[in-house]
Amino acid sequence: MEGPSSRILATADGPLLLAFKRDFGGDGESDPAQDIKTHFRVCRFVMETGVKLGMRSVPVATACVLYHRFFERVSIRAYEPYLVAMSCVYLAGKVEEQHIRTRDIINVSHRYFNSGSAPLECDKEFWDLRDSVVQCELLILRQLNFHVSFEHPHKYLLHYLLSVKSLVNRHAWSRTPIAETSWALLRDCYHGAMCIRHIPQHIAIATLYLALNSYGVELPVGEKEWWQVLCEDVTKADIDAVISDLLHLYDMEAKCI
Amino acid sequence: MDRELLRQCLAYHGEPLFNKLKCEQTENPDFQAVVSDLCKATYERKAEGKDNPLVEQFIARKADILFCPSWKTATHQEGEHEEEEAAEPYAIMPPLELFMEVSYDERRTMLYRDLERGDIVVGRINNIREYGFFLTLLSTAGGLKRDIEDLELSALCHIREIPSTGSHDDPLSYYQIGDFIRAAVKDIDRYQEKITVSLHQASLSPSLENIKLGVIAREELPTHYSRSVRAAADSNQTYECILMSCHGYHNPSVVDYLLEKVGVTDTHPPSMMRGLQSKLFQEDDFASVIRKKQSASWALKCVRAGVDHFKHGRHVEAMNEYNKALDIDTNNVEALVARGALFANKGSIMKAIVDFESALESCPDHRNAKKYLCQTLVERGKQLEEQDKLVTAEGLYRRALSLDDLNPEAQEALRKITDTIQKSIRLREEALAKEQVKATSSQTSAEKLRKILKEEKRMKKKRKRSSSSTSSSSTSSKRKSSSSSSCSSRRRSKKKKKKKRRSERGSKRHRRISSRESRRSEEGKSEKDRKEEEEDELEWYPAPPDTSATFLNQKGGPGFGERDEEEADEKDADERRISQLYSLSAASDDEESDSSRRDGKRRDREESRTRRGKSSLNRSLERAERRSRSSEKRDKSRERGKEDNRKDRRDSASSRRSSLDENRKRKVSCSSAESGYSRKSSYKSEYFVNSGSASKHSESRMRHDSSKRNSFDGGRYENRGREVEEAQREKDRKGKVEDESSRSEIGNSRRAEVAGNHKQSGLTSLSGGGPKKDLPSNLMDIFNQIAKFEKEKKVRPN
Repeated sequence: MEGPSSRILATADGPLLLAFKRDFGGDGESDPAQDIKTHFRVCRFVMETGVKLGMRSVPVATACVLYHRFFERVSIRAYEPYLVAMSCVYLAGKVEEQHIRTRDIINVSHRYFNSGSAPLECDKEFWDLRDSVVQCELLILRQLNFHVSFEHPHKYLLHYLLSVKSLVNRHAWSRTPIAETSWALLRDCYHGAMCIRHIPQHIAIATLYLALNSYGVELPVGEKEWWQVLCEDVTKADIDAVISDLLHLYDMEAKCI
Repeated sequence: MDRELLRQCLAYHGEPLFNKLKCEQTENPDFQAVVSDLCKATYERKAEGKDNPLVEQFIARKADILFCPSWKTATHQEGEHEEEEAAEPYAIMPPLELFMEVSYDERRTMLYRDLERGDIVVGRINNIREYGFFLTLLSTAGGLKRDIEDLELSALCHIREIPSTGSHDDPLSYYQIGDFIRAAVKDIDRYQEKITVSLHQASLSPSLENIKLGVIAREELPTHYSRSVRAAADSNQTYECILMSCHGYHNPSVVDYLLEKVGVTDTHPPSMMRGLQSKLFQEDDFASVIRKKQSASWALKCVRAGVDHFKHGRHVEAMNEYNKALDIDTNNVEALVARGALFANKGSIMKAIVDFESALESCPDHRNAKKYLCQTLVERGKQLEEQDKLVTAEGLYRRALSLDDLNPEAQEALRKITDTIQKSIRLREEALAKEQVKATSSQTSAEKLRKILKEEKRMKKKRKRSSSSTSSSSTSSKRKSSSSSSCSSRRRSKKKKKKKRRSERGSKRHRRISSRESRRSEEGKSEKDRKEEEEDELEWYPAPPDTSATFLNQKGGPGFGERDEEEADEKDADERRISQLYSLSAASDDEESDSSRRDGKRRDREESRTRRGKSSLNRSLERAERRSRSSEKRDKSRERGKEDNRKDRRDSASSRRSSLDENRKRKVSCSSAESGYSRKSSYKSEYFVNSGSASKHSESRMRHDSSKRNSFDGGRYENRGREVEEAQREKDRKGKVEDESSRSEIGNSRRAEVAGNHKQSGLTSLSGGGPKKDLPSNLMDIFNQIAKFEKEKKVRPN
């Protein structure tokens, strides 16, 4: 994948937009810590854009997964990450049947980078940006070999929530914002590549586990723990790994934003 | 901060968390408010060994979010009976404790802890006694999903709790051992561990009340129960397997459905990240807001381009730009105003008004929109006024003034139109009164009117002839100049005349009512006033026949709206008839006067008589019309014949066919066109006769037409001959009525001013008729030339 196709795409990168200033040292040296921070910022951009575009959680998750999978294959130095993010949002809208118009994406992004600025004029710059987004979408598709449909933890989490809810006294449940917390945790975990490193069920269980844990909600214990039942192959270590990754992301927020 | 939640959390995590919280939340005033409260209790660590310091750190750091009351968005909602639905919107899973293999005792305790009055349980009847029946509980239904089948729970349903269907039957006789019963929990004795249930619908909790209680079939057992039975039977059926096999799991919109069910919003999604708190999102940054702004500015750009085009006179391009702007941003005020202005410029006043109105709808204070709409409304009002829709026009003026109460144009127009409307109302009333009078003295008054008319004409003719002969050279030269003056001056004078005639009608009533004696007494006076009348006559030119029609419409329009429909229609018809007569007679006697003035006294007596005969032809035609309409029987047959004759001529005139007769007529029409007479109406032909005869004597103008005219007159001859008899008869009456006609002319001069209002409409209708007439005359010339050429060609070879 890194071979010929990347070279072709590298030439295609030429006319792609350069409107966004890269915020990392471009001396070609790969600094993983720096890259992770960049990815975190770009994913934050995707999240914010998603909210402003009125995207649902699943398309946003798809956009993030597209982004992480793309940079799993190519170097962050080869492509402008924010442009890739914009195209990911656009593509995710198509994949998840919530079509987002490029114009809106460009508008929101433009305002994200130039806060308080007036909307773009309908001029050449705008159309160039639009072309870049569409071109980059094709690039992503090719890089991912057109595998752009992913399974997300969202469905699992919601079903788990209902099952767990039945185990808890209804008054205790209604007093405790488990659903909100676990949903927030699940959304937040897309800030990092952890969302593609862990399988969806584990992420769902881990976020639910963390949410229950945060409020000190105790579930009955039988021969098996509740999380063991939900997913057969999940172990406490898996859950801990997910939680650890997730907590790391929260630490990252303080460092990079 | 939610103190209860925090306490619950601290109770779980123990002292370490509390210390971390105190450390992390020092700057949080909410935490400081509750910390003293929390200090009182000592926290034992329940989650010994399982705990993770990182998690505690996380909780401590995010405590302000986690325990914020606004964090919880879900509203407590019970009433989950979706399992009754045929389609499963999400995967309904067996209770988790089934897979977890929670111990018998714990499950039993949990059930007695969580089961509440109003919940639904499903059980099988295992015993029926005289005081009720006992159920073995199989499952819970409704909100709570628990695995209770093996808990050997028994519930009593007392006979009082069974709704009786018949008054004499034993309600218990409907139930058998082994029946599946869905029942509501009536009471739970947690110490004695006794449950009583009820079949009364009223004992259900409000959220579940539409679930029917009583006997159910096996298929109606709760889904989660049947699935748990299957799962219990087959150890391979894991939670995951069942989840994957459920239809609901594959529902594409399951996430949206369940999010709503658990009460989490996806438009303002929760996040534990500090930078993604929903309060940080500003409305201005949202896509829809930006798009709106952008569309507005793009549209404005187009409008600017359009205005530029407009200024350079490229109206099509301007319109395209405006339409583009409105495509980009529907209801863009500037674009609407600009397009409206363009429409107004192009004369599409209605479209312009629509645009201005919609612009004002979205921006009621737009100054230009107001201004333009005001102007356009006034413009439209004027148009309507011309079409005699006075009331509508008045409404438009009022609307214009409501937009801009200082607009001088609108004020002026409104003032004028109110006057006109009042005047027309008055005229209507007068006409109505006249009609009533006419109705009472039906035949006699009609007869009188006719006589008066005829004598009037004759009088005028006579008077004019004499006056023209006796008048000084200065007056005659004056006349000549006026007669040879441009068409426009002629038209103007014609208009004046028409107005006079029009007002004459109003006064006619008075004349009719007043006695003959009084008229006679004024005879002398009228003789004295002859000089003055002469002045009047100077401007006394034939009116174009079509003006009478316009004047009719003008009168007809606004008046009708205010009256009873039927009556108005009737009146309209009557008036039309009358006015037609008037205009005809006036036109004809004007012709007479015109011609008579020219030929003077030297002409032969006989000739004058024939001319009179001609004029009497007109008169008789009028009479025919009048008579046939008022269904008068006298002289009917004779008149009919003439009328038919006339009708024929009319028809042929209107449909310009190439018959000989037609041809002749056309030639006449050329001559009349030259003399500036406009004509269009159905009584063209009579007019032509007159004008033809008139022009016969005005040699200077009609030179080249004379031969044709002669032939025309020849064609007319037999017709005229018939008229001679009648003319003779009327001549006898002439002397008697002479004085009356002179009187009427005095009246005319008086009423001239009144009619001034209708000048404008008369003008427009005249000018509108102008250009069409030139064409046939031109054509005729060409035809003549062609004919001549052909003749010559034929002659030459021979």
